[in-house]
Amino acid sequence: MDPTTTSRRTFLKVAVGVPLTGAALAACGSSGPTQAGAGGGGGNAGSAGSGTATYWFLSGPPGEAIRQASVNRFNQANPNTKIKATTFQNDAYKAKIKTAIGAGQAPTIIWGWGGGGLKSYVQANQVEDLTSWFAQNPDVKNRLFPSSFGAATVDGKIYAMPAETVQPIVLYYNKKVFDKVGVEPPKTYADILDLVPKFNAQKIAPFSLGGQSRWTNMMWLEFFLMRLGGNKLFDRVMTEKGAWADPDAQKGLQMTQDLVKANGFVKGFSSITADSNADQALLYTGKAAMMLHGSWSYGIQVANGGSFVPSGGLGWMNFPPIDGGKGDPGDTVGNPGQYLSISAKASDEQKNIAKNFFKTQVLSDAENKQWIDTGQVPIVKGTEAELNASKDKDFLNFVYGIASNAKFFGQSWDQAASPTAAETLLDNISKLFQLSISPQQFADNMNKVIGQ
Amino acid sequence: MTALAPPAAARATAQSTRTGGRSGSVAWMALPALLIFFAFAVVPLAGVLFLSFTRWDGIGAIHAAGFQSWRSVLTNPGTLHALWVTFLITALSWAFQTPMSLLLGTFLAGHQRYRGVLAVFFFIPLLLSSAALAITYKALLDPNFGLGTGLGVSFLSQDWLGKGPLAVGVLVFVVSWQYIPFHSLLYQAGVRQIPVSLYEAAQIDGAGRLRQFFSITLPQLKYTFITSSTLMIVGSLTFFDIIFVLTAGGPADATRTLALDMYITGFQGNQMGPASAIAMILVLVGLVVAVLLQRLGGRDRSASQLEGM
Amino acid sequence: MTSTLRAETEQANEASPGQRRRHSPRNLLHLNWLGGLAAWLWLGVVIVPIYWIVVTSLKSQEVYFAENPLKPPTDITFDAYRLVLQSNFIQYFVNTVIVVVGAVIPVVFFSFMAAFAIIRGGARWHLRATNTLFLMGLAIPLQATIIPIYLVIIKLGLYDTLVAIVLPSIAFAIPLSVLVLSNFIRDVPNELFESMRVDGASEWATLRHLAFPLTRPALVTVAIYQGLTIWNGFLLPLVLTQDPGRRTLPLALWTFQGQYSVNVPAVLASVVLTTLPILVLYVVGRRQLLSGLTAGFGK
Repeated sequence: MDPTTTSRRTFLKVAVGVPLTGAALAACGSSGPTQAGAGGGGGNAGSAGSGTATYWFLSGPPGEAIRQASVNRFNQANPNTKIKATTFQNDAYKAKIKTAIGAGQAPTIIWGWGGGGLKSYVQANQVEDLTSWFAQNPDVKNRLFPSSFGAATVDGKIYAMPAETVQPIVLYYNKKVFDKVGVEPPKTYADILDLVPKFNAQKIAPFSLGGQSRWTNMMWLEFFLMRLGGNKLFDRVMTEKGAWADPDAQKGLQMTQDLVKANGFVKGFSSITADSNADQALLYTGKAAMMLHGSWSYGIQVANGGSFVPSGGLGWMNFPPIDGGKGDPGDTVGNPGQYLSISAKASDEQKNIAKNFFKTQVLSDAENKQWIDTGQVPIVKGTEAELNASKDKDFLNFVYGIASNAKFFGQSWDQAASPTAAETLLDNISKLFQLSISPQQFADNMNKVIGQ
Repeated sequence: MTALAPPAAARATAQSTRTGGRSGSVAWMALPALLIFFAFAVVPLAGVLFLSFTRWDGIGAIHAAGFQSWRSVLTNPGTLHALWVTFLITALSWAFQTPMSLLLGTFLAGHQRYRGVLAVFFFIPLLLSSAALAITYKALLDPNFGLGTGLGVSFLSQDWLGKGPLAVGVLVFVVSWQYIPFHSLLYQAGVRQIPVSLYEAAQIDGAGRLRQFFSITLPQLKYTFITSSTLMIVGSLTFFDIIFVLTAGGPADATRTLALDMYITGFQGNQMGPASAIAMILVLVGLVVAVLLQRLGGRDRSASQLEGM
Repeated sequence: MTSTLRAETEQANEASPGQRRRHSPRNLLHLNWLGGLAAWLWLGVVIVPIYWIVVTSLKSQEVYFAENPLKPPTDITFDAYRLVLQSNFIQYFVNTVIVVVGAVIPVVFFSFMAAFAIIRGGARWHLRATNTLFLMGLAIPLQATIIPIYLVIIKLGLYDTLVAIVLPSIAFAIPLSVLVLSNFIRDVPNELFESMRVDGASEWATLRHLAFPLTRPALVTVAIYQGLTIWNGFLLPLVLTQDPGRRTLPLALWTFQGQYSVNVPAVLASVVLTTLPILVLYVVGRRQLLSGLTAGFGK
């Protein structure tokens, strides 16, 4: 045979055949297969119901060891079934869980932050409705903080098990710096504004801020709006079009920029990242006087700050009230908990394993003790005794007090809102702090994405 | 003396005889590459093209959406901005890396004894991953705990990653820091290939050092230049890892290239439709660039510079 | 024929060291002083971050912020290194080597064959189409196609294997490699091809005995460039593998990134451990590398 013709023919055959196959593959794949890993996914989300459930969660201290310990306890107590855990780093997890769910390869137990992310899973019918399960197991529900269920609820139904710890945003301050400069901790926001020039005069940054991480900036805006306009405004701005044009919201935006212009934040804050702990280091090395940060920062400062915390150098308080504001000074914002959902695509056997796990091992006494040891408060009622027994009892009691007494515990906007809106929000907040957009422009930009 | 390329007539004949009846036994050689490329690049790309005509949040069902995603992407000023940033970073990286690599490569081709030691050190940045680079530079550029404080030079304590133009500069610098050793290796090899006879002849003719550099070294480095520039420019277009971990597109959108815009829109904003449209735009830009580069490389068919020597 | 710088210097090096200076074409290399200045300046620029990495990897987390970042640690601690080695580091290293070798060899081989076919095959439409297709593939962003690739891999039953990382890596490396290699092959004088043909050699023989040796510099360039790219790639391993036993080095770096904070000394220790073996390889193989890159037409 003529080599030219054969080769060309083969070439063409292959060249045409492959894309057709490929298109078929792509089409099959994207319409969402229903078999959870039974078909193609080798070693993935639980092979066809044989008593193994899978659980993906975040790696790294402090949580990984604690979560793994609970899984181990469960497996030991239930030798006929097994939960297989896989861990991922934070950012990697966010990418991976999305691809997995989108391709129908989700693990049985999905670790998450609730709120808008959970809502997107619900809208895609990817997670189990647990409302009836909670109704049948009231003791599971009643021992948890009521405020933790807000972020697990979508359209009145509960889609996740609240778990782990409560993490309000706390105003930390360096007592030693305050003593050195000879000032008292602020009781109202007006006090804060007074303190700013005093610290700057001593070449100490009034507030540390890891601006590059964006959500750190957001905490400020959340508190301003909450103190000025109350929890209603806090909720409205992310759910109602035009809410950012509300006078209280505009005032909050303006106050933010005023604080930036008054050099309230450490110089170069837009280059500092929170995840390297550079912002927290500013506080415990005395280069900054105060810092607004999550309650988890306590554990980090204990670990990295040397003798700073044990010697009583760290102070804390809830964000002070703003004169003339409508908000309740006891309200707070942060992470009301972490959330475990069950994949709707898992087999019945796997779902039962997961529910069993929720009932018997999540936030067990043993697990709670571990959380308390890391300086965090589990979302379980009635742990006062254990908290008092801990070396960190002052801080833990403070957090427990806020969480249980707050009439309103708002979930951080970037978790509560849909991912699309959250992205725009963070983007605009960083521009706001850089003074490159005005409060009015901020409101206009947000209007375009609210409700998406 | 050096003969120039053979006359055009001979060229033409050579070409026609070259193509006569030969392609059949050569074409199969392209098949393995073609097959793998098809399965793992073209098919997924077809998938992306398909997705650009849909509305999908990456998790739920996919809805057909016609040109909606395309329209929103093309009318979004952010897309144009991303295009501009991509161009800016590509151009700046190229403009900084090429002269440096040329200089370093020329120098390293010499015979200084310590050249070897230098070469080893220069090579290290190439081995570092983006995550490593990001952590290192974010720490070194920290206004309070970084180089500025370390060396006591306050100029180095700027808001490097917080101001737009500075962030772009930092990015270009970090990328160059990593890749200059590679490109200088290319130039070094290129310089060593230049026949000594050319220089000797030029010296006899009385040409000075500078003149020799511009009239001999540079022209002879033409193909190295094209290879190196191709790698640089195409590489810059698809930069993702390093920008993502260093600035995540920030501050605001100062370093938000097309690749980042696509990722943020799709994976963080959950809008796979527009993200796919942006991806297709990126592919188009790459195609245009590649065609331009090929023209530059193959424009004179008198291919070899050493022919006839 | 032509004597290149390299050929001359090799001759010169074979002569006694004393004679080396005299034959050295050093004085024919231009802008030496400017190049030298650039080189020393650049050395400083290169060294500072590297120094910082090594020094910090020997500090403990508490000390890290308290001291001057550039100061060497007063108490050197190997805690970070211990942590890294305990965490399955060797396995990740081996995995990465497997992936890189498993991908680079096919990339170089297949791209070379394809480039040869495109350049030597003349103006046939299917070869032109292939060429255009590869050009189009130059800027395909991996992040965009990652979900479809994920689906293809799952359908092929390759999820959570190292092969899953290798195959797409090859595919994405092909366009650029073909581009670079075809530029080089185009540079080979036509007369040489003609003489092979006149001798009755098949195209495959021409590829093996003529094009291959002459294109070696480009092959080495492509191998290094793609090798490094794949060595540091993290998106493909991230999405296509799951079991810790199949992780590659870039993912390993994330072992030390906790939920809220990063263990910087540990991350840097793993960076050092990752880089050291390759560095040793480079030091040992540098001569070969350079000669591979300069195997030009100096015959």
